[in-house]
Amino acid sequence: MSDFRPWHYDGRSAVRRSVVLLDADDGGFRLEESESGWTGEPVAWTDLTVIATESDRVAYGHRAIPGWRMGFSGDAPPEIAAHLPKGERYGRWIDRFGFWRAAGVFTIVAALVVWGALEAPGLIAPLIPKAWENRMGDAMVGDFGGRFCHTPAGDAALRALVARIDPKGEAREVALANIPLVNAVTLPGGRIILFDGLVQQAGSPDEVAGVLGHELGHVRHRDTLTGLVRQLGLSAVLGGFGGNAGGYLNGVLSLSYGRDAESVADSVAIDQMRAAAISPAGTAAFFARMGGKGEADRTEQAMTWLSSHPLSADRRKRFEQAVDKGGRYRPALDGAQWQALRTACKSDPHVAKAWASPF
Amino acid sequence: MDEEQVGRDGFAFEGNWRDYAPIAFTNLLLTIVTLGVYRFWATTRTRRYLWANSRFIDDRLEWTGTGKELFVGFLMAVLLIGLPFLFIQFGAQALILRGQNGLAGILTILAFLVIFYMAGLARFRALRYRLSRTWWHGIRGGSDNPGFGYGLSYMWKSLVGSLALGLMIPWSMMSLWNERWNKMSFGPHMFEAAGDHGPTFKRFLLFYLFPFILVAIGAFAAIWIVPMMPRLEQGTPPPVSAILLIALVPITFYLALGLIALAFYAKFFRVAVDGLSLSGLNFHFYARTKEWINLFLGDFALVVCTLGIGAIFLQYRHWKFFITHMGVTGEIYTDELTQSQTRVARHGEGLLDALDVGAF
Repeated sequence: MSDFRPWHYDGRSAVRRSVVLLDADDGGFRLEESESGWTGEPVAWTDLTVIATESDRVAYGHRAIPGWRMGFSGDAPPEIAAHLPKGERYGRWIDRFGFWRAAGVFTIVAALVVWGALEAPGLIAPLIPKAWENRMGDAMVGDFGGRFCHTPAGDAALRALVARIDPKGEAREVALANIPLVNAVTLPGGRIILFDGLVQQAGSPDEVAGVLGHELGHVRHRDTLTGLVRQLGLSAVLGGFGGNAGGYLNGVLSLSYGRDAESVADSVAIDQMRAAAISPAGTAAFFARMGGKGEADRTEQAMTWLSSHPLSADRRKRFEQAVDKGGRYRPALDGAQWQALRTACKSDPHVAKAWASPF
Repeated sequence: MDEEQVGRDGFAFEGNWRDYAPIAFTNLLLTIVTLGVYRFWATTRTRRYLWANSRFIDDRLEWTGTGKELFVGFLMAVLLIGLPFLFIQFGAQALILRGQNGLAGILTILAFLVIFYMAGLARFRALRYRLSRTWWHGIRGGSDNPGFGYGLSYMWKSLVGSLALGLMIPWSMMSLWNERWNKMSFGPHMFEAAGDHGPTFKRFLLFYLFPFILVAIGAFAAIWIVPMMPRLEQGTPPPVSAILLIALVPITFYLALGLIALAFYAKFFRVAVDGLSLSGLNFHFYARTKEWINLFLGDFALVVCTLGIGAIFLQYRHWKFFITHMGVTGEIYTDELTQSQTRVARHGEGLLDALDVGAF
């Protein structure tokens, strides 16, 4: 053992020593530099940690003494090598598993995580108690800054429209907000908010009825909640590791529910309109008009109903085809009611003013 | 025996990319299949290799950071920054929806200030963390300063730097560099940073000269080249050469701006490192603008020619560049270089990670 001369730092000073290993009483060893007469504290073999295992440089540390190092190049004599700990290569878990096996397992887990992140919201959302969802929606809506338009005639007209599209009262609340955006949102907890901009843009009450029916579809299937879970969940699982947590939440206004959910919501709208004998032609016209208006300035477009409900020719056609040529349709609201709804925001003296520059 | 006279070659890089390749490729694979989670352990493996192949005077450096502590640092950053910001964003949106634009604006400005402060703090903390995990001769570096004061300095010095058309930027950069390093130590010795921004100023002025050069070139083109171009018939497309010429203008613009920035930074880094000393050691950095240009041209070629995969070698290239151009002169007494007593944080550079600002 005497011709094996590792180098050594004691962790107290940077002096480099050339040492020999001497057996200590309790089975460990102690280091000694014969030239200077320096002797180290006894060290147990189990205290050794691996610092480096490069081919030309092996170094060991001490569990309890930071900076304590012992190293050498080449191979240690067998009686010493037997006591030396093995180093980590990829990390403890992967080393224990083997590189390719670990990589395989990780791939499967990763695939499950991605699949889970995509599928889970649809599975989790229905499990969230309705009471929680209601509370969430209530917190989001607050009083909408006093922006809900109320006039006796306008309220009656809105109630009449809701009664025809949503006779079973699935939506907890349908309100009209004094916001000049062509938009409508469904908040968690079955709250539908129509923006005044949409009502002003609509050519007939049938168009508003179509949008309302569609939003009712989102209420029925709790799509808003699913969308929220998806956005928050996915960003936590995947996006969070990209380095910029925080940039994900675009708010309920820009939630997109996915093609399937939109299609299902359209079916609900068509069903409700058929049951209420309201023509889907108006809604089709609304789609055509909104889709054709491609030149609108971008912020305006981004805030319209279409930004969260992407328009496709198929969707318009579905509403067109749903029109029964021989059907006996009745307008969603009569002329007086429609007028009351359209002027509700203008004639409510208490409603908060719409802001000049939206968002 | 304990004293070491050091010449220019105090630093040397002794690794080679063939040895590093297995580390780089397995890191890439494991990072992909773990959806990015492994990258903390990947960073650690890379640094272990790079440090272990960097010789300082008579012995190699050692990196003792772990993947776990980087991971914990990341989780802390998510918790401390990510969650409040999700909340603020949500809150600001709710406020806007209720017409409280003023309040939402204040909230947003507040959030910006906090981020600004954190960016400075993160820079300081990352340097402190890296020094505390860097060992040489069984001795490590570190700092007992938590960096909260540096965060404030970072804010006001950066703000002052942007005053007077940015003329104060070299001062603010150098002053922050000095402030950062003056709070760091290795073993019992404090680093001393006394970089002077003066010598870097001439290069910085190139930024201001640039618009004038641009105008001069434009005027030259207008007077000499345009009249020489053949008149186009109405309706015929312009010749390809003219289109190329027009496309070249913005490319040249950014290229020239990048070159000026590089020339300034090369000088800045040389001066800053030259001002750095530790006990009897004086540090130097020898890379000139030409070497920096070669570094980035090499990076570009490597990444493009390998369709992006070469990017896994960038960290290696940059470290090698850094070490091979570092130098040190002076003398060191190893018996006086005793163990650092600075506190060691348990977590890594999560804050830096989250805010994506680079140290060094």
